[in-house]
Amino acid sequence: MEQLVMVLLFVAFLQNRIMDLRKAVACLCLQSAIIAGACLISGLANGNGLHSVLPGLLTILVKVCLIPYALFRLVGKLTDERELVADINTNYSTALSAFFLMLSYVLVDKMLPGIGDRDIMASSMGLILIGLVLIVMRSRAIMQIIGLMTMENGIYLLGLAMTEGLPTVIELGIFFDVLVAVLVLVILTNRLNVSFMTTDTNVLRRLKG
Amino acid sequence: MQTLIYGMLGLPFVFALIAISGFFSNRALHILNRIIATIVGGIFVEMLMQISPGEVFNSEYFYLDALSIWVLLIVIVLYVASAWVSKSYLVREHKMGYLSRTPKLIGRYYALYHMFVLTMMLVLLLKNLGLMWVGIEATTLISALLVSFKFTRSALEATWKYIMVCTVGICLALLGTMILYYAQLTATGTEKALSWLWLSQHGDLLNPSLTKLAFLFIFIGYGTKVGLAPMHTWLPDAYSEAPSLISGLLSGALCTCSLYVLIRNLIIVIPTIGTAFIMDLFFVFAFLTIAIAVPFVVVQRDIKRLLAYSSMENIGIMIVGLGIFSSISVGATLLHMFNHALIKFVLFYIAGTVIQEYQTKNMMRIHGMVQEAPHTATFLLMGMFAILGMPPFGLFFSKFNIIFSLFKNGQYLLGSLMIFLLAGILIGILYHVMRMLCGRAKRKAYADLLDHTDTPFLAVLLIGSIALGMGLERIPYLNSLLLEASQIVVGGVHL
Repeated sequence: MEQLVMVLLFVAFLQNRIMDLRKAVACLCLQSAIIAGACLISGLANGNGLHSVLPGLLTILVKVCLIPYALFRLVGKLTDERELVADINTNYSTALSAFFLMLSYVLVDKMLPGIGDRDIMASSMGLILIGLVLIVMRSRAIMQIIGLMTMENGIYLLGLAMTEGLPTVIELGIFFDVLVAVLVLVILTNRLNVSFMTTDTNVLRRLKG
Repeated sequence: MQTLIYGMLGLPFVFALIAISGFFSNRALHILNRIIATIVGGIFVEMLMQISPGEVFNSEYFYLDALSIWVLLIVIVLYVASAWVSKSYLVREHKMGYLSRTPKLIGRYYALYHMFVLTMMLVLLLKNLGLMWVGIEATTLISALLVSFKFTRSALEATWKYIMVCTVGICLALLGTMILYYAQLTATGTEKALSWLWLSQHGDLLNPSLTKLAFLFIFIGYGTKVGLAPMHTWLPDAYSEAPSLISGLLSGALCTCSLYVLIRNLIIVIPTIGTAFIMDLFFVFAFLTIAIAVPFVVVQRDIKRLLAYSSMENIGIMIVGLGIFSSISVGATLLHMFNHALIKFVLFYIAGTVIQEYQTKNMMRIHGMVQEAPHTATFLLMGMFAILGMPPFGLFFSKFNIIFSLFKNGQYLLGSLMIFLLAGILIGILYHVMRMLCGRAKRKAYADLLDHTDTPFLAVLLIGSIALGMGLERIPYLNSLLLEASQIVVGGVHL
């Protein structure tokens, strides 16, 4: 589990450095796969049949297969496949992510002292904040979707570490919502591409006041 | 009861499938839409017959008590009213707008609209806090498709903001719910995970610091969805770009649903973290929301954005009422929810009609409505009077009670501040409305578009608001329902 968390953080930081949309989606896919692995490991450790491995299998189906597939198709329709913000932005966002990771260790120690999985808790909190950094610092629509998914993965991992998973019905509902959310966002991004000829969200600044 | 609930949720779903399939003509869809909504309304009345205000219905997934019935009543009233007026609205849009470009749009509109109402009813019927979260997130996603329904550039912009801000906010609420579950696990074990009834009965067993942390996340999360400043940035955009009927539902029903979930969580955490902390938290956000709304109302040019900021003001008032947490103020908050929903729906509908008549959203270019469109002008004026809280409309009584309980609580400074801010809103809105109504018309209106197909419903909603304010004591059922509901919020559940 500890090794998985280390790889996960590495992948999350890598997400900050990637400017190519295709590679970014692949990176998200890898990140979700790690989450699914963690989920399966913890499910098998608890060990009571299908119920415990179901969330892991669902993660693989929804977050590793369906969502990256939808995003890859979306990227295929776009003409330019790179993030538009300046390259210096990656340095800022990496620095911010590192700061937030430290912050989440401090937060975990302050708020939940003496909890068992300190590293997992802190890194999942870090993952949530890294997702927020991505949403705020990136301007391409797909990059923001990836940030949102990173955040969702972080929350999921935190729930897994804290409570060993929510009841199955709620898990199912959450997976369904995540899937629909990505579908809606993909539709919208498509429309953005048609209407504005770009998926740069910086053009969305007409509504004010 | 169980069958009634399934019927209530199943019918709109079936109709959504029918509408999206495209086998039926627009005429048939208009008629079926009204029939389905009326039947759902009938099912709800049947439910009211079976369950008296003090009783609860409790099954594995569903839970109904006075509080959920009260909010469900708001949603159903708006559902039936909007279903009956939607034909005239859509026909007018079809004549002059985007709807005629692609043929299947009306079917898609009806499908999304019924699914939207369905998810809202689902939120109100569910028992489990986790599933409520799922429902609220589903309302965001479906309403996002409705906000972007016109697919113009500004609608896309509004939707992108709406979905990004709300989903991030709602994710934080999920985090809070998970922390609450963790607190429940450490206190009482895995039994009845996140069941609202169980948690509200055993709220005092939860670890206080964990619960406080959980509630902070939950408050920020659902607060985003309700539209509290500073997480409100999506609200004016989404309300102004959505089709007018949907804006009315977003403001009247969806906001109320999110507030309902917040109240449900509040009931659980009150025994552990106490009212003092809640009051401080709620007051900071509520007064910030009202204060931010004032300048934007005064300098506003877009009529629907004006209404959106007025919604923010009313949300702020409701949150103040919840923050005081006395039985008078909570009762007034629930009453305010109902009145605000009725009036805001009417106003957004009227605003949509004004936009159709003048082909502009800009209030600076609309003058002399009294002469050119007298029916619309009358309804606009009455609706605006109602939303500003003038007697005899119900909002006067709820606003009065909330401010009264502020003073009664010894918060003289805050009470005066609130009156001051509300006066600012009143001046801003009346200035704009009077400009639009009076003067000489510089721009020709198409015609007075309100006619006998929609005015009766708007009039009924306005009169309903008067009845809810002045005659509440004379409607025994509603009165006891309101008392029970506020008792559930303030006193908790003792079964």
